[in-house]
Amino acid sequence: MKKKFLNLNDEQKNIVLCCVSIFIACIMLFPIYWIIVSSFKNNAEIFTSPPTFIPKEFTLESYTSQFTDKNNIVVAFFNSCKVAFTSMAFACILAIPAAYGLARFRMRGKKLFIIIFLTTQMLPVALILTPMFLVYKNLHLLDNLLAPILSDATISVPFVVLILRTYFLAMPKELEDSAKIDGCNTFTAFTRIMLPISYPGLIMTGAFSFLYAWGDLAYSLTFLTSPEKRTMTASIYNFMGKYGIQWNAIMAYGVLLVLPVVLIFIFLQKYIIGGLTNGAVKG
Amino acid sequence: MELVLKNKYSSEFIREERKGYLFVLPALIFMLAFVGYPIIYNFILSFRDVNVTTFSQAIKPFVGLKNYIEVFQDPTLAISIWNTLVFTLGSISIQFVVGLGLALLFNMKFKVSEPLRGLMVVSYLIPMTVTALLFKFMYSTSGGIINELLMKAHLISQPIGWIIDSKTSMFSVILTNSWVGIPFNMLLLTTGLSNISSTLYEAGKVDGANVFQRFFKITLPSLKPAILSVLVLGFIYTFKVFDLVFVMTNGGPVNSTELMSTFAYKLSFTQFSFSKGAAVANILFAILFCVSLGYLALIKEDEVMG
Repeated sequence: MKKKFLNLNDEQKNIVLCCVSIFIACIMLFPIYWIIVSSFKNNAEIFTSPPTFIPKEFTLESYTSQFTDKNNIVVAFFNSCKVAFTSMAFACILAIPAAYGLARFRMRGKKLFIIIFLTTQMLPVALILTPMFLVYKNLHLLDNLLAPILSDATISVPFVVLILRTYFLAMPKELEDSAKIDGCNTFTAFTRIMLPISYPGLIMTGAFSFLYAWGDLAYSLTFLTSPEKRTMTASIYNFMGKYGIQWNAIMAYGVLLVLPVVLIFIFLQKYIIGGLTNGAVKG
Repeated sequence: MELVLKNKYSSEFIREERKGYLFVLPALIFMLAFVGYPIIYNFILSFRDVNVTTFSQAIKPFVGLKNYIEVFQDPTLAISIWNTLVFTLGSISIQFVVGLGLALLFNMKFKVSEPLRGLMVVSYLIPMTVTALLFKFMYSTSGGIINELLMKAHLISQPIGWIIDSKTSMFSVILTNSWVGIPFNMLLLTTGLSNISSTLYEAGKVDGANVFQRFFKITLPSLKPAILSVLVLGFIYTFKVFDLVFVMTNGGPVNSTELMSTFAYKLSFTQFSFSKGAAVANILFAILFCVSLGYLALIKEDEVMG
């Protein structure tokens, strides 16, 4: 078997490898196919045995019911957007300059600062949840979207700092030197020269900050109590508790929740994959 | 010029340092306020009695080690520590082995390798809550696709209660978590593989090494740095998993999937004994802290610390 495989010519080898890898990808990606298919089935067809791989009766009922429901999905969608966008913007405003500072300036305590960012990136949500709940309670921020926004930013700030730092380090320092000769000061050299040329890194870290906040359940579930404040993740969780095994409806909600993620992935694929491999190995 | 640069505290250095601090401090202060302070607060909390009746009072009674003694007497703590270890080691080994296999496969250049590898990353990006619900559906005993397929293949005669049976629940959540982690492992290992020079393999072939010898003598040793970082990062990310298990099983049935993170959450937000939740979270923190020290020692040589 092995010998035979090695004796194949390049064209045949190519075909075998293609088939094997497509087969594996189909298995790995099957759950994603399944969530989409199930969302278009009616409730009876979900439970038919043997299961149908293509809906016999194609229905949009699971989707339309999300919009007629009392706590409808639109409110949750806008809450999720508010949380994810604000948290992303906030994290980037804080973290991009910090990454630049750690990449370009000599300063005492630099190693300590980097260690602080490294370790905070590793902390479990469960550690911060209880004290932050009490802190937000004292600050009267419970049931306020600001609570998950700030807490989600604690996940993305260290991530953005560490990844963009290595990014800035790789940029030639001569760029800023020549900008300074042309009349820029430290700050304008950063905003006019460094930021525009490092846009792939900025896009990638921005996308991840958004995705972290978009996908977060623990913070929004714990800090937001009233139904009209809930984000999509918290709503789908409550939805499951309330309606139990209405899988087609839950899957439809899941598809809508994943949709922005897929869109981001399609448009920013090369930045995301590049960033994942770069950042994670180094940071 | 050389001399000036070498003197650490020259006025030029001070000026540069000041500018640097202006860039770094806002983020640092934010992290210290929203992560550093809670950690300290958590520590204080674990030595006081804070529950649903006392948490709005100004003075919370100091109780010493009482919370720790009580959680240690609770058998659930030992179970949750053990489960966290099983969950972490199980997930890391599955996602590492499969991830390495896929990385090796996709490293052979063929027509669809690049787009397919990109596509597989999607499972890593899906919000954990959705992944958890999706697998809960696929594992279910009525209408769950996994049981249906296994029964169709005559491998089982009746549905297995994957996540509602305490014998299989841990395996099922590990499998789900691995599904999320595999693309991440694959990508990092692919990067490592592409850094190995092909001349090494050619030299190996000339010396008569077969496929296995080349794998064990060339691929694995050259991959060592990538493997180390994948394993350590995998450990840290898996050790802190919360949402996946929280949504899929919420620690059940009969504590069979109770992790330290879900246990801490339950103590704080179901039983409202915030101090005990804080105590469990601190134990989790202590374990992670030791691992992080190891990680920091590992990457000390790396440019990240430069």
